[in-house]
Amino acid sequence: MDYLTIVFVTASALRLAVPLIFAAMGGLYAEKSGVIDIGLEGKMLFGAFAAGACATAFGSSAAGLAGAIAAGILLALAQAFASIHLRGNQLVIGIAINIIASGLTAFLGIAWYQRGGQTPQLDTHERFLPIILPGADAISNVPIIGPLYAQIISGQTVFVYGAFLLAIITWLVIYRTRFGLRLQACGDKPEAVETAGVSVFVTRYIAFTINGALCGIGGAYFALVQGGAFYKDMTAGQGYMALAAVIFGNWRPGRVLAACLLFAFADAAQGRMQGAMIGDFAIPTQLIQALPYVLTLLLLAGIVGRAEGPLEAGRPYIKGER
Amino acid sequence: MRNHASGTIAAIVATLINIAAAFLIGALLIVAVGENPLKAFGVVWTGAFGSLKGFSFTLYYATNFIFTGLAVAVAAHAREYNIGGEGQANVSGLGVFLVGAMLPFLPWPVAIVLGIVAGMTFGAAWAFVPAYMSARRGSNLVVTTIMFNFLASLLMIYLIVNFLRPTTSMIPASGALADNLSLPRMDRFLLTLGINIHENPLNITFLVALLVCVAVTFLIWHTRWGYELRAVGENRDAAAYAGVHVPRVVIQAICLSGALAGMVGLNEVFGVQHRLILDFALGYGFTGVAVALIGNNHPLGIIPAAILFGALYQGGASMAFMFPKISREVVVVLQGLVILFAGGFVAVLRPYLTEQFDHFFTRKVA
Amino acid sequence: MKEGTNMRKIWNLLATTAAVVIAASTCGPIAALADDIKPAILYDLGGKFDKSFNEPAFNGAKKFADEHRLSLIEFEPQTEAQREQALRTFAEQGGNPIVTVGFAWQPALEKVAPEYPDSRFIIVDTTVDLPNVESIEFAYNEGSFLVGALAGLKTKTGTVGFVGGMDIPIIRDFACGYQHGVHLTKPGAKVIVNMAGTTPAAWTDPARGRELTLGQYEQGADIVHGAAGATTLGVLQAAADAGKLAIGVGSNQDDVQPGHVLTTNSAALDVAVYKAFDAAQKGTWKPGRVVLGVKEDGVGWTLDDHNRPLLTDADIAKMNEIKQSIADGKIKVPSYLANGNCPAE
Repeated sequence: MDYLTIVFVTASALRLAVPLIFAAMGGLYAEKSGVIDIGLEGKMLFGAFAAGACATAFGSSAAGLAGAIAAGILLALAQAFASIHLRGNQLVIGIAINIIASGLTAFLGIAWYQRGGQTPQLDTHERFLPIILPGADAISNVPIIGPLYAQIISGQTVFVYGAFLLAIITWLVIYRTRFGLRLQACGDKPEAVETAGVSVFVTRYIAFTINGALCGIGGAYFALVQGGAFYKDMTAGQGYMALAAVIFGNWRPGRVLAACLLFAFADAAQGRMQGAMIGDFAIPTQLIQALPYVLTLLLLAGIVGRAEGPLEAGRPYIKGER
Repeated sequence: MRNHASGTIAAIVATLINIAAAFLIGALLIVAVGENPLKAFGVVWTGAFGSLKGFSFTLYYATNFIFTGLAVAVAAHAREYNIGGEGQANVSGLGVFLVGAMLPFLPWPVAIVLGIVAGMTFGAAWAFVPAYMSARRGSNLVVTTIMFNFLASLLMIYLIVNFLRPTTSMIPASGALADNLSLPRMDRFLLTLGINIHENPLNITFLVALLVCVAVTFLIWHTRWGYELRAVGENRDAAAYAGVHVPRVVIQAICLSGALAGMVGLNEVFGVQHRLILDFALGYGFTGVAVALIGNNHPLGIIPAAILFGALYQGGASMAFMFPKISREVVVVLQGLVILFAGGFVAVLRPYLTEQFDHFFTRKVA
Repeated sequence: MKEGTNMRKIWNLLATTAAVVIAASTCGPIAALADDIKPAILYDLGGKFDKSFNEPAFNGAKKFADEHRLSLIEFEPQTEAQREQALRTFAEQGGNPIVTVGFAWQPALEKVAPEYPDSRFIIVDTTVDLPNVESIEFAYNEGSFLVGALAGLKTKTGTVGFVGGMDIPIIRDFACGYQHGVHLTKPGAKVIVNMAGTTPAAWTDPARGRELTLGQYEQGADIVHGAAGATTLGVLQAAADAGKLAIGVGSNQDDVQPGHVLTTNSAALDVAVYKAFDAAQKGTWKPGRVVLGVKEDGVGWTLDDHNRPLLTDADIAKMNEIKQSIADGKIKVPSYLANGNCPAE
């Protein structure tokens, strides 16, 4: 890979990382509060659909984003109710959320737009477009710095900048605010939180509201930036990769961000390497496509070691027990 | 004893309430497309149970759900969540196919034994790495098994397209296996009795599934290993203190789980398709999690839970056949809702109902 | 020339026969045969709105049903096991003829068709050699060759791209034809090939289609052909976003991103399905294998108001010339499917 290729792959990785970062940070809030969330995929899909539908209905990208956030929150609260109040099996609820989102978005899409679940193609003003920072064109021919500035730092959508900002905010919220401390305690020692006079339920519901909003934004990115419309099942497994990033990142915002970037980089590189040859031997496409998954596994096995996840994750909290 | 009965009745009633709640919401969708939900659900019922033919289909789907449900249950007894049934089933198909392709002359009674061995071995092998990573390295099994699901699809498409496909066929599937390998089917058996249910995929693997249920029950509740497994599930530290080699038991449990999911390969390759096709296990693995949950991780519960989901598949298809406006998406949402309510309500409803039934019975006795 | 007149004679003869049959059918006992039609269609797992092969088939079937005020029976399977079940259910419900879309129906149809010798079946995209089955195949390699030739004509950078869905034989056939077409008009051009994925999600992933396409543009490609179901729409989106060109697939997609879709690698599934139903109704349906290539207008490249501004008269003339050469057999388009690999050039 020459320098320019690396720049392009990095730029591509940043674009691919956006939904991973939003969903993973959302997943982080839920898991920190003590609820396992494998429903990220479904909430993103629901958000993507709402984004496509609202952007079309109101003719604006902002409406699309707002709709996605609302839809994500709605589904997250349903999930929270089943997981928290009804003390259901969190894995099964997550799976159900994914299946329902897949069926319901396609059902509504067909009912409303008669295009097989697709929402109408969005116009430019209904989408988010890359922001060209000042001077990007002027210095793009300057060696080394030029491409770096023009391709990576400039020319990204607001979502890319937002994703990095989100990681910083999440770090601050979890480690530097009272809410963050309660959130962590909820995941580790819920009874202590309750003793201190704070409601575990309320804290977890707040976590899920944030979770839903972030998944919604991640989903909106699919429809408003990448696809230019909602398509059936368009999140294509990214929610699962986001979950892997949460766990590989060991439930720490900085490392989760790094994990998302790493997965996205592997994915971007994968696209470039297809069709590569070793001598006369063409590497099978599938071997290259396996890269992100194998990398995830290797890292999970090698670096993370003992997981340091929330102790109570997956166990419903019952008031007055213990 | 009384308590036990209350628990069972409560479980059944809770499940029925779950299904009713799911269908109630599903009814809204059906009203939204302008059909009568009562009629539509009537078709689901008659499609799944109303004829011998439909019921055979229900049992065929249930066969796969029994395997994936048992798979989840065995691991769950060690408090491990194997949601990689999809990938394990997918890869097991390769094992079963290879037996058939390399030994085409086998009569079916031998083929079924070797098929079981191969399917279970391949399924267990595909589960081994996540199992090892979970037990020894503390890697999250949910995530590793999801990654292995993706890898299974990769592997299968690579092998099928490049090696197993007849060169001039454009179908991403292997060639057909020898006829003598095909497992005995219910439709043929019934035909000898003069009952014609036409062609039907239900085959002897269903009986194998029932036998496996017996075997799993025995293993978990009547052997030393099963005792260790449950001890690990109850409390790992206590189990270790009592001398149980915890990581070993965990690895064995997850591999057994993979092996059980691998039985889907037998049903599909030798029983139904007689060839290896892409994505034949689609959807069975994830649904297995719900089957195990509704079945309370016990084979006696898993069998009816598997039949419930089999009925949803078969009845859902009948509904889609009969009502053009009700697309398969409605069926998908319905399945999702049943899973959601099964996951969401069981924990609250079952203990509550158990208590109520207990009161009821106690009063009666007094 | 002589052959031409002979052909016309045969056509006239056929037309007369048909007219007689129709005339007879209106008042004779044969009426049942000709009118007794209940169009049925079975889609592939992708569903009828897949933006690829099922959708035009659906359009063709719907057009026929609407025109003749017939109700169309249709089903989208969810699992492999539902295929045989669906075929039998439709045969028993009196579906006649029953169209199955996609090669994946082959094993099921081979089993079910002999059980219902009185039903007529049609399979698209592969051949089932049975007395009550008509097999309609499309020479996708020829259509791909044509759009490849256009890409070769129009590329300024000498690099073009291809984004397929899954790495399966039919997509390799597309890629193979495309590559040869590019090299016809631009020898030595570089063709970058990407596949979107390995699970069925590969066909419904426009986000990935867009990203792969942007990557190919960055590698110097200026025209990218998408052959990946709904994922193709992401390819077209990338062309619009990057201000470059893309080539669509299936039914005409020139209007999806006007000004950025160079052409569409089109297959007339809608026409084929319509004609099959039509033939069944008129009593002229017959089993056997039909291959629809460039010659039969089964596959081709699209030219309409949306992409006309992108092309010069010389381009169109050149394309027509190539098309004619294929139709005449002067250009033999290589096929991946002939012996399981893409012949070297």
